[in-house]
Amino acid sequence: MLNGIAGRIDRTRTAVARATLLPLLVRAGIGLAFLAAMLVAWPATLVVSRYVVLLAVAAVYPAFAPRGRGVTLTVLAVVGGWIVDTTWYDARIALWRLLVIATMLYAGHSLAALAAVLPYDALVNPDVISSWLVRAGVVILGSAVLTVVALGLTAELAGGAFVLATLVGLAAAVGVTLLLARLLRRP
Amino acid sequence: MTVSEAPHLRAAVPPNEVAAEEGWAPPVWVPTRALGRTVLLTGLLLVLGVALGRVDLVLLAAPFAIGAAVGLRRMPRSAPELRIDADEDHIVEGGEVEASVTVTNPDVINYDLVVVRTRTSPWLRLEDADRPFAISVTPDGWTAVELPGTAVRWGRHAVGPAAARVAACGGLLACRPVVVPARGVRVYPETEPFAATEAMPAAAGLVGNHRSRRPGEGGELAGVRPFAPGDRLRRIDWRVSLRTRDLHVASTLSDRDAEVLLLLDVLGEAGASGGVKGKASVLDTTVRAAAAIAEHYLQRGDRVSLAEYGSTARRLRPATGRRQYLTVLEWLLDVRADTTDREPHEHVFGAHNVSSDALVVVLTPLVDPRAADMLAGLVQTGRYTVAVDTLPEGAAPPQRSEWTPLATRLWRMERENVLGRLREHGVPVVTWAGAGSLDLVLRDVARLASAPRGR
Repeated sequence: MLNGIAGRIDRTRTAVARATLLPLLVRAGIGLAFLAAMLVAWPATLVVSRYVVLLAVAAVYPAFAPRGRGVTLTVLAVVGGWIVDTTWYDARIALWRLLVIATMLYAGHSLAALAAVLPYDALVNPDVISSWLVRAGVVILGSAVLTVVALGLTAELAGGAFVLATLVGLAAAVGVTLLLARLLRRP
Repeated sequence: MTVSEAPHLRAAVPPNEVAAEEGWAPPVWVPTRALGRTVLLTGLLLVLGVALGRVDLVLLAAPFAIGAAVGLRRMPRSAPELRIDADEDHIVEGGEVEASVTVTNPDVINYDLVVVRTRTSPWLRLEDADRPFAISVTPDGWTAVELPGTAVRWGRHAVGPAAARVAACGGLLACRPVVVPARGVRVYPETEPFAATEAMPAAAGLVGNHRSRRPGEGGELAGVRPFAPGDRLRRIDWRVSLRTRDLHVASTLSDRDAEVLLLLDVLGEAGASGGVKGKASVLDTTVRAAAAIAEHYLQRGDRVSLAEYGSTARRLRPATGRRQYLTVLEWLLDVRADTTDREPHEHVFGAHNVSSDALVVVLTPLVDPRAADMLAGLVQTGRYTVAVDTLPEGAAPPQRSEWTPLATRLWRMERENVLGRLREHGVPVVTWAGAGSLDLVLRDVARLASAPRGR
């Protein structure tokens, strides 16, 4: 037991001594992005209470384990907080909050994908990080434009939901998911 | 009339076995957890958005869907290629080594991240070789990771194996690691300057660089003596013949070449090697001294051969010249401590395998009793033998208990005893100290050689 703890401490010390700057910055970016998304998504009353510690822990965890399932769970926690805030607490769907959440979630997800394949002690060519960030930025910009346009449209076309539209929407959702999964099996 | 069938012929060259050469399955692109996450989140958010009638949830899924579509618009088709380049030049220990690992991208997509890892021999101090390198490679391009450094010890050292793991399509796909085998770098020993001015004890052929002690055809004047039947007419010294009214010939000493056999005791390694600037272990001293002695005698035109005293019993045939010197250096790179328990082949070092005129220089730490026996045996069969003590100063076994220092002292005394007995048997034992180490003993051996042989 004691040996195990001592070994772990030794390993941590070696890891800290060997770590290089850019992988650390990438991991810090993951933590910050998810933390921002978490704080914006959850209801303000919870964010200012002591439960914020739990939220912060859940947000920062992927920075330490970007290879695990923690990233998915954190994203789901953010989405859950957003749904709770807009239904239970009946908050208004503000454009800036939606933009920040979508941007930060994708940034955190993309940086976690990078950190998952980037060893913490690697000597990183800065071009790798910059081109990665540029690519993520283009995706974020595209979806931000889409968000602004779509929210504007829905505000004008607002009306009651009906069953047929829901069914068509469900089919479209399943179709998009299957299409993404099938992209892989292309020859 | 019968038509004879054409004989069945087959190609003389072996078939191309590319697959067998590779030795592993071709790498496959596999989806990463990030792709699984993308598909799961997109699907879940879209379904939730539609089920709850919420556009905002669909918009939260939008970046994930767009990112996946942008990333996967082109799929990788081939595996990355990896190559290790290392210096082919003659590197001497302490010298600079240039090595590099090149990743080539034969594909149509960009390699967003390539993580290259290399292992190198501890005797090659390559800059940051123990760290992974993260680079990107453009389509149809290549990127090289330079690994400059120094070689700190002689030998064949490996750069590699190297492995590369590639992430493409924005980290949604990753390639299984591509591994290339190690590449050897030859690092030659730094020879300590060595010069022996003493003549060789005996020589084998009738031509060579050494002035022998026997009269014969040669360049060195030995004296003038009366003509005898069989003398060549052009050797007649006319001035002396006219003065003495009798035919006299000038006699010369014959020029001889000599064979030097360097016998390397590899039965054990002692002392820790500290590389070129640090402490020398037994094998370090053995190899550097052997290179220096061989260089010296080869430059003088003698024939030098080498042999290992150990279970492998490697030998290098006697030859002369610069070519042989390079062969000797190459041969020395493969000197390893013999760790097996097998007995050395006694017959390999038997009297019939060592030329009777050869000067045998045995480089030995005299730790193994078998080496002392071998030395005594060589002397008994009348070979001109010199032993060079290669045990480093202060070499001692690791401290295991309070009795270790005492045991070490006892062992040292026993070793001194062995050395004394060897000297009594007529084996000169000298400690290697570079230039002039062997002068004194070679003079003694030469004097021994001039005495009548046999017992």
